[in-house]
Amino acid sequence: MSAPRPYNLIAELTYRCPLRCAYCSNPVAFRGFPDALGTEDWRRVFREAAALGVVHVGLTGGEPTLRADLTELVGSAAEAGLYTHLVTAGTTLARDGLARLRAAGLRSVQLSVQDAEAAASDAVAGVPAFERKLAFAAWVRAESLPLTLNVVLHRRNLSRVAEIVALARELGVDRLELANAQYYGWALVNRDALLPTRAQLDEAAMAVARARREAPRPEILFVLPDYLAGRPKPCMGGWGRRMLVVTPDGRVLPCHAAASIPGLVFGNVRTDSLAACWAEAPGMNAFRGEAWMPEPCRSCEERARDFGGCRCQAFQLVGDAAATDPACDLAPRHDLIERARRDAQDREPPLVLRG
Amino acid sequence: MSAAAFEARLRRIGAERYHHLHPFNLRMHAGRLSREEIQTWVRNRYYYQTRIPIKDGLILSKAADPDFRRGWVRRIRDHDGDAKGSGGLELWLALAEAVGEGRREVESLDDVLPGVRATCDDYVRFVESHDLLESVASSLTELFAGDIMKTRIEAFEKHYPWVDTAGLRYFRSRTQQAPRDAAEGLRFVLEHAVRPEDQDRCAAALERKCEILWRLLDAIEAGHARPRLSPHAQLRDEGGELLVVLPERAVKPSASGREILELCDGERSAVAIAKELRRRHPDVGGLAGDVYEFLASMQRLGVLAAQPIPR
Repeated sequence: MSAPRPYNLIAELTYRCPLRCAYCSNPVAFRGFPDALGTEDWRRVFREAAALGVVHVGLTGGEPTLRADLTELVGSAAEAGLYTHLVTAGTTLARDGLARLRAAGLRSVQLSVQDAEAAASDAVAGVPAFERKLAFAAWVRAESLPLTLNVVLHRRNLSRVAEIVALARELGVDRLELANAQYYGWALVNRDALLPTRAQLDEAAMAVARARREAPRPEILFVLPDYLAGRPKPCMGGWGRRMLVVTPDGRVLPCHAAASIPGLVFGNVRTDSLAACWAEAPGMNAFRGEAWMPEPCRSCEERARDFGGCRCQAFQLVGDAAATDPACDLAPRHDLIERARRDAQDREPPLVLRG
Repeated sequence: MSAAAFEARLRRIGAERYHHLHPFNLRMHAGRLSREEIQTWVRNRYYYQTRIPIKDGLILSKAADPDFRRGWVRRIRDHDGDAKGSGGLELWLALAEAVGEGRREVESLDDVLPGVRATCDDYVRFVESHDLLESVASSLTELFAGDIMKTRIEAFEKHYPWVDTAGLRYFRSRTQQAPRDAAEGLRFVLEHAVRPEDQDRCAAALERKCEILWRLLDAIEAGHARPRLSPHAQLRDEGGELLVVLPERAVKPSASGREILELCDGERSAVAIAKELRRRHPDVGGLAGDVYEFLASMQRLGVLAAQPIPR
């Protein structure tokens, strides 16, 4: 099949990070992946991405500001015509470093915090980081860069959504992304400690609705997590459809976690063009379109909305990447999700920090 | 609370919340509105005028007392006239013509700002869903209308000489009618709201009505914000189609959306943009409403920068 046009490149510049968040989306075995792509490699990736039709690049990681060549990378992405977005924990970049990134062509920033106040936030991050993050947010505002605040939601902070919104307003952010934890990588390791109850989520949803009524800004993104929504998420807007991820070692994936599915062969920009990795790699084509879908997806009216859900989740929970995402309550193995929900209610295990 | 104390409470609500204090009215009366703003106000306020007889009809339908109905029905006659071409609505259309608006366009209600429509409909719904006492209490903003009409006539004569004074006949007629109507409404409310809980309901209804009038002017002001593209938007021409790239989002407007966005230059108001598009596409019905809706959605998506309301 012919490959669709990608709009969004997620450039994982490094898996290194000073934070140790218990829901990190990097591979659990992240230490096995060195930063194998140099400045020139990334420059070529950005040029080739723009030629494919990509408009957005998210410079992420790990912590992308640990790359000594970040200013050059921002410059080459902007030069290629990409809308250049930095995703950071905000603890490593100096004030003048941010100014240099802006001068090089940085367009927007996403900053993560882990909770609404220092102690709880730092407990999840595993290091004292909260105060530095607040200072960083102020620098971003001072540079007139659009700022998204990202907070991963889970059992331990869901009851503080109103406080998180208040923090976002205080910081003057443009968007607040309340991202419910997605259970693969480190978050799957910690699932029983992170998975919220339905009542917690309902309360959070009401707090979001109240906040939206109070004021139109910041824009608040909040989507029910698939474990409790009854329907799968339209993961990445469809496998190999709108977004591509390039990992620190050069692999080209349809999502952050796709390499966790064994047997899929992906391209690598160290040996192939980005266009070939996107269009031709067998792994990229494995779940494109609808031909791979089993029932009940194949004849489901919602398949064009959710694209069958998340392949990584299907593999991790069902053991078959081509199975219907068990998050869907029409899935044959939805019982796995129901059991995980039940199990999480009764347990309060300690968090395993990324380490 | 005694009737006198209750009346004082109602009058205090007006002194504090009636729209004579709204920035738009303050600017109108100080002579600081542009011709475009005066025209927008007249055009949009006509929608409110058209809802008044409907509201009064609803109030009539709640009243069992013939004396009450005989008195109240006069309001509908005042607005609609005893024959075509007379009455308050007709006088308002004369005002529209005096400020340079087309009678047919104003009557069509095509160009009413969504916020104005929403708040006026809200008033009708309020009366529909509340009892006679609260409905009458909500009409007591008339207690404060006489004064504002006098201020307005003076302001128009002094500051807006380009408006033919024949157009001001609506205001003059209301300086007579409003006090008479208000006295009648006040008498009814003072007589029927004796228990504290009824007095509270009446006070709340009057506050709600003040809020409705206030929001109407908010909406008119918002129509004069001058939309412009967000400084964070990057425009791409992709084979003739526009792609607007923003932080973490891209928007592909249709061809007509693109035409609207190209008018968002930070100089034209939303109202002026709608007017220009109507000029270009005279045969398209309901165009202004679509334009306002599109502008609002583009603002929500961050394509258009939030603009300060001109004051």
